[in-house]
Amino acid sequence: MISGRMSSNDNGGIERAGFLLFVAVALLPIGASILYAAAYSLGLAGLLGEGFTLSHWSRLGEDFEIVRSFLMSIGVALVAVALSVAVALGLSLALRRPLRSGRLGYTIYLPIALPGTVLAFLFFQILSGAGLLARVAAALGLISDPSQFPGLVNDPYGVGIILAEMFVAVPFFTILFAQLYDAERLPELRGLAESLGAGGVDILRRVVLPLLLRRAFPTIVLSFIGVLGAYEVPLLLGPSAPQMISVLTMRKYARFDLAQKPEAFICAVLYTALALALVALAYSCARRDDDA
Amino acid sequence: MMRKREIGKLAGAMSWIVGTICLLPIVYLLILSVAGRWRFPLLLPEGINLRAWSDLLGGDSLGWSLLLSTLLSGSVALVATFGGFIASRYIARSGRSRGLLFLAYLPFAMSPVILGACIHILYITIGLAGSAVGVACAHLTFALGFGVVFFARFWSRERRSLEDLARLLGASRPQLYRMVLLPAARELLLICFMQTFLLSWFQYGLTLLIGAGRVKTLPLLVFMYAGEANVQYAALSGLMLIIPPVLMLWANRRFLYRYM
Repeated sequence: MISGRMSSNDNGGIERAGFLLFVAVALLPIGASILYAAAYSLGLAGLLGEGFTLSHWSRLGEDFEIVRSFLMSIGVALVAVALSVAVALGLSLALRRPLRSGRLGYTIYLPIALPGTVLAFLFFQILSGAGLLARVAAALGLISDPSQFPGLVNDPYGVGIILAEMFVAVPFFTILFAQLYDAERLPELRGLAESLGAGGVDILRRVVLPLLLRRAFPTIVLSFIGVLGAYEVPLLLGPSAPQMISVLTMRKYARFDLAQKPEAFICAVLYTALALALVALAYSCARRDDDA
Repeated sequence: MMRKREIGKLAGAMSWIVGTICLLPIVYLLILSVAGRWRFPLLLPEGINLRAWSDLLGGDSLGWSLLLSTLLSGSVALVATFGGFIASRYIARSGRSRGLLFLAYLPFAMSPVILGACIHILYITIGLAGSAVGVACAHLTFALGFGVVFFARFWSRERRSLEDLARLLGASRPQLYRMVLLPAARELLLICFMQTFLLSWFQYGLTLLIGAGRVKTLPLLVFMYAGEANVQYAALSGLMLIIPPVLMLWANRRFLYRYM
């Protein structure tokens, strides 16, 4: 009763001001940017805009650079996130005690503290022909010249990008799974399943993994979006063709050739549509879990 | 019994290997920042060169960038934390909280570089491109969205009852915040401040575009030096860039572990 009487309209001026700040600084720029990108790609905005046209979009079917870039970005993000989740699941289950109370409980956080710029620079120094790995290979007698080292930087399959992204994502997911393991009371559930006669593999397959993956799914999707739109790491470690989508967008946007700009905005519109669909998926899953 | 001991040993060895791999970046950056001549295939540099470190301590551009990045990210984090706190209360108490909360997730969908390319014209039009204020506003697009989502779960039914009780006992709105809500959210406010600080601290693409290369934060320096093949300076800038997050993460591991 009290709650109904007092809280039905209890947002005051300060809350409204906070919300308006959020609208002005976050929502409006994003909304405006999406509209501007769509308008530019349709010839309705920009220096070269001469009225509505689909000619820029029709180029998607002629020149496959953007399509290839999207496929490359999705592939790299899928592989990086899937491998990270798999490795992190193994680590979080195998190293539960060291993660809770050992030194690993501190050091595991270090890779998460690496920003994209440092990560890119670091992996360039580690994976390039004269980098740390090549020096170790030379010390082991495997190679004698930097050119003999397999190309992991700017390689066509994005191996350098995947390794760099995994370096941050594996510790992140390991910590997340370790935390979810306790939050979801998995030790008790394991004990219950054991008492009902389930074997170790069955418990893992039917109880532990489904629960952890279900609870972590929204975070996994957001992590996928993060890799999909990454810029610094692909810029330094990625191939020159096809480029990851952020790199391609920036290249087309920053070119002096104004004719390339509509294509930059086509990339932006397509990326935003895909990312929004994924965010909606993550959001609905998170709400479903909250309601359950 | 034997098997348990072997498994324990294996876990210990794995833990040591994983821990070493996690430490590698900081050690390697430290070595790179002081490395003199380092020919292939030597595993260690031939000598030590402290030029980059002495330039940093002497107040070179690296020192200024450090100061600029700290002030910029600190301001963004402060606004995002308290702005996110009260905006999320507005959303939670409004009749359309689900729809509005979904909108708060929008920044998570955007790649900073792609958003930067799209809003660049807006910042040019309003005269904020190329300025630190403009860069801070652009960072806030992401940081404020994070703050709103971060505090969404704080405004639970129990919290509402607590607020109602305080109001019933005569607390004014400022008293409600000062004596009830802010103390209850102290840990979360601290974590949100750190996370939004890092969101801004790590930002490269958006800073490059909106700052037009004139707002030289540390991430820009790392790329600039890396582009010039100035490994020593790039490594030192990188070290400066990761020291605050490392300290924050270590100091607050307990809280982060709980709220991740």
